[in-house]
Amino acid sequence: MKKRYWRCFVCNDVHYGIAPPELCPTCKVLHAYVEITAEEARKILGGGPETTMATEDFRASIERFTVGNEFQVNPAADKVSLLLTGIFENEKNHGFKFCPCRLRTKDWEEDLKLICPCNFPIHETYKGVKDGECWCGLFVRRK
Amino acid sequence: MAHLVMFYGRECPHCKKMLPLIDTLEKETPVRFERLEVWHDEKNADLMRSYREAIAPKCGHQLRVPTFLNADTRDAMCGEVEFDKLKDWALQQG
Repeated sequence: MKKRYWRCFVCNDVHYGIAPPELCPTCKVLHAYVEITAEEARKILGGGPETTMATEDFRASIERFTVGNEFQVNPAADKVSLLLTGIFENEKNHGFKFCPCRLRTKDWEEDLKLICPCNFPIHETYKGVKDGECWCGLFVRRK
Repeated sequence: MAHLVMFYGRECPHCKKMLPLIDTLEKETPVRFERLEVWHDEKNADLMRSYREAIAPKCGHQLRVPTFLNADTRDAMCGEVEFDKLKDWALQQG
């Protein structure tokens, strides 16, 4: 199914997916989303405030992401530091926080799968592996 | 001698671990690898992409680094591996 764009008629949150959220996560209004065009979505998002994310902000973000999950950020600080450098180099040079341990194919849909964090729990380096980790090793199964 | 290539990423920890093993292997044997960085050199990246059909089936259906490739036979191996496995693979390439 093809993903489309949706806008909350109360708070203007924008959602990109095959269906709108039942409950708006921002204003908590039920059944608040109406379909809009890609151009409208880009205008709404493009008109929002500029935000920045330093390496340490991203590190904090992925730490929060792992809370409650069966994986954690790799305790090996040197490895994480090198990976974060690569992730930010890739964003600077190629537009997204691509995994430093794989290569862009130049296919839009394929390359979206390389943005960190990727959907590594389905990968053979993690799924069903006792000491599983994502391909690059940024995330490891929690002991 | 086979034309062996190592595709690597500058900020890839697995690659960082494998590069010294390649150095050691080259000191111990006649094997030689061409080292090609792919995240900061688009020409190298395009070359790696051109081998996608050979590499991807052996690398989780993706273009992963490090990848070790025999450019002549298109045999490939990827990931962080033990020195002996790397050596065996390289010597088998002829």
